Amino acid sequence: MNALEITGLCKTYRGKRQKIVKALSSLDLTIAPGEIFGFLGPNGAGKSTTIKILMGLIQPTGGTAKIFGTPVINSASRQRLGYLPENPSFLDFMTAREYLAFVGRAFSMHKSDVKKETDRVLELLALEGAANRAIRHYSKGMIQRLGLAQVLLHDPDIYILDEPMSGLDPIGRALVKDILRDLKSRGKTVFFSTHITSDVEIICDRVGIIVNGNLMAVDHVQSILQSGIEGYVIQLVRDKMVTEEVFVEKERLKSFISDLSASDVEIERIEPKRKDIEKFFLDIVAKGEYVAVE
Amino acid sequence: MATFVNLLSANFRSILRDRIFLAILIVALLFFLLVPSFSLFSMRQVQELAVTLCLSTISLLLLLVSVLQGASSVWRDVEKRYTSSLLGLPVSRATFVVAKFAGIAVTLVCCTMLLGALALPAISISAAQYPSDIPIHWMNIIGAIGMDCLKYILLSAVALFLSTVSTSFFFPFFGSVAIFFAGSASQEVIEYISGDYGKSLTPAAKLVINIVYYLLPNFSAFNLKVAAIYGLPFPFKGALYTFLYFIVYTSILLCLSVWSFTRRELP
Amino acid sequence: MKLKAIFLILLISYGAVVVPFTDYLRNRPVAVKLGYTPDARILKIASADHCSLVAQLAIVKVLFYYGTIVEKFTKKIDLPVEHHNMFKTVNTALKLDPYNMDAYYFTQAAFTWEVGRVREVNAVLDYGMKYRTWDYYLPFFAGFNSAYFLKDYRKAAQYMKNAAELSGDPLFTKLAARYFYESGQNQLGILFLETMRKGSKDKKIQSMYEIREKALKAVSLLEDAVVRFERERKCRPSDLSELVAANILTEIPVDPYGGKFYLAEDGKVRTTSKFAFGGKEK
Ligand SMILES: Nc1ncnc2c1ncn2[C@@H]1O[C@H](COP(=O)(O)OP(=O)(O)O)[C@@H](O)[C@H]1O
Ligand SMILES: [Mg+2]
Repeated sequence: MNALEITGLCKTYRGKRQKIVKALSSLDLTIAPGEIFGFLGPNGAGKSTTIKILMGLIQPTGGTAKIFGTPVINSASRQRLGYLPENPSFLDFMTAREYLAFVGRAFSMHKSDVKKETDRVLELLALEGAANRAIRHYSKGMIQRLGLAQVLLHDPDIYILDEPMSGLDPIGRALVKDILRDLKSRGKTVFFSTHITSDVEIICDRVGIIVNGNLMAVDHVQSILQSGIEGYVIQLVRDKMVTEEVFVEKERLKSFISDLSASDVEIERIEPKRKDIEKFFLDIVAKGEYVAVE
Repeated sequence: MATFVNLLSANFRSILRDRIFLAILIVALLFFLLVPSFSLFSMRQVQELAVTLCLSTISLLLLLVSVLQGASSVWRDVEKRYTSSLLGLPVSRATFVVAKFAGIAVTLVCCTMLLGALALPAISISAAQYPSDIPIHWMNIIGAIGMDCLKYILLSAVALFLSTVSTSFFFPFFGSVAIFFAGSASQEVIEYISGDYGKSLTPAAKLVINIVYYLLPNFSAFNLKVAAIYGLPFPFKGALYTFLYFIVYTSILLCLSVWSFTRRELP
Repeated sequence: MKLKAIFLILLISYGAVVVPFTDYLRNRPVAVKLGYTPDARILKIASADHCSLVAQLAIVKVLFYYGTIVEKFTKKIDLPVEHHNMFKTVNTALKLDPYNMDAYYFTQAAFTWEVGRVREVNAVLDYGMKYRTWDYYLPFFAGFNSAYFLKDYRKAAQYMKNAAELSGDPLFTKLAARYFYESGQNQLGILFLETMRKGSKDKKIQSMYEIREKALKAVSLLEDAVVRFERERKCRPSDLSELVAANILTEIPVDPYGGKFYLAEDGKVRTTSKFAFGGKEK
């Protein structure tokens, strides 16, 4: 069974004065269990819209979405799920400890487990010091950490995180990357949105790029990096003295090397020169905008 | 069910930590201390006045709590984006709304019990100062207080429903206050127009008034204060009808609230 | 879907409950409908700037329910409690707003004939005269009450003189003169009622006076007939039906209060209704 199954998802917002915003058009996406999926897109692309539909917070104009086979309109679909909203906000009259206990009960955890897990996640996110203070007095970064803590509390199988790194300091960002790697090693499914390409490059198995509500590309990070090779920088040593660098296009590599073998030039090093995810992303965004204008 | 109780207790705790609620409660409690001295105002009707003062204080507190809490419930959770984090848990929207209502209802019941428990000694102390020829009918007083509680639970359901369709405090607040006054007067108006005064009205106007009468919650039915103050026989049949009416009307309002909240887009 | 089903069931239940519920509400005793009016001192604090409004509302409420009693006077209604409550409510209203004429008018109309609380009514009127110093109605009412009910003619003459001075209307002077002898009580009553009825705008009150006037006219007619009977036969009739038998009257008039006229020991004509709505049951 797929961890996430999205078919033909559309969303049109009807704003004030009958202004229509087409936030999503016919999105198809499936995510297998154990996958770390990065949902990449510029601001206003429709990432949060997709995630809110997955959480049943807004109704799609068309299409369906299922989590582990359960339609998202059914609240039971969230039983094995941890959700971190974008710029989260929690019942702020409670302390972090009280809130985590509340979340634990909401997932029908055992009392003793709640206690143990609360201590674990508070320590993991370095919130022990503030655990008995009301959430009202937290800073933005602390609330983001609490958001991650409540996601991890009941050790769900799928994680849906809307911009998990936003509002965090560099230490926090590193921590989140560690956490995601750990989840990956334990075979959990993660679907997270971001607009920062480097996040995706390091952690993700697959990446989807969404622009203006259209899913432009879905691919494995590895194969993007592979296919992104544009050519090679070759370092040559002539007469065992002079070193020079030449750029050889991808298609010409073979002939270049065979040409070389005739001469007395030696190859010291061949380095592939490739587009990184950022370049890939920017190209797609540019193309997407072009399509949108057309 | 466990989820419901969990949410209910969170809502209840949130009200208990609400400063405005606590301030109102403390003022009401202080007022009870003054009842025995206040009731000396009336030389001949010390006991009646004590009963009235207690019942009115309870009513006023319940009115404030039900309207303020009901009117600031659902829309505020949406605006503060609590709904996004709470509904990300395995919680259905119906459970969310009903638990919200139940939190307010439990608060109202607790306030009633607390103030009721204080009202009884306040009344007996006042009555002992100047014995009346009407004996105190404790059951009537308790019945009147209980009915009052039901009345304000119904009012909080009205406010909650308005707050599920609203995006600000003003509509549910003024809406429920207006419905409260209209619902308290509707019985008198209908009796007014069913008599001589109604003959000058056109049939269309009468029909409209009748429709409004059946649509509005009838709050005057919950008023058993006269029976409590004068020790008239307790209207058991009427109380039973009123109770059934309360159950059905409140459930309808909850149904509508769930329906309107389910359709709502959350941030 | 499930929600729709529940909603439908609830709507049906609402229909089933609301019929007996509203039925019950419509038939509650007036005292319950009128509710309890808190002590004037408390109300004055609570109503702050709106004393007159609160007073007027209380009076409108009393007037309205009094109207329903007049309308359905054959119904079984617990009168003593009703009157006590209404009198109290009106009194409270007057403490809030001592200038409210409706309240004095209603007090005079409702609590003298049927209830016989004449002394209390006169106390209320005295209270009102301190405020409505220009108003000749209040001494007129009080004068009438003193003469007609209390038989205190000296006091009545004083009140009427007061009323005459305030109004400049010779009628009051005439009335004042009349109070020095007891005869013609009924004529006096009828005259008073006529004045009151013509001065009233409220339909309920008008109809109440009309009924009262009718009853009084009937009594007057009967008493005149008794006098004629005595003159002609030199003996008192033992029963009112003898008046018809003696061809003095064609029939015994009907008591508009639903009672039956009879000849009392003292030779006066009385009725089983005691001129009170619902008095028959007592
Ligand atoms: N409630 C709303 N009403 C109207 N338009 C909206 C609403 N929410 C989002 N949008 C629009 O939908 C588009 C997608 O928004 P969103 O999914 O939040 O983007 P992001 O990818 O940055 O999370 C944006 O153009 C945004 O302006
Ligand atoms: Mg977003």
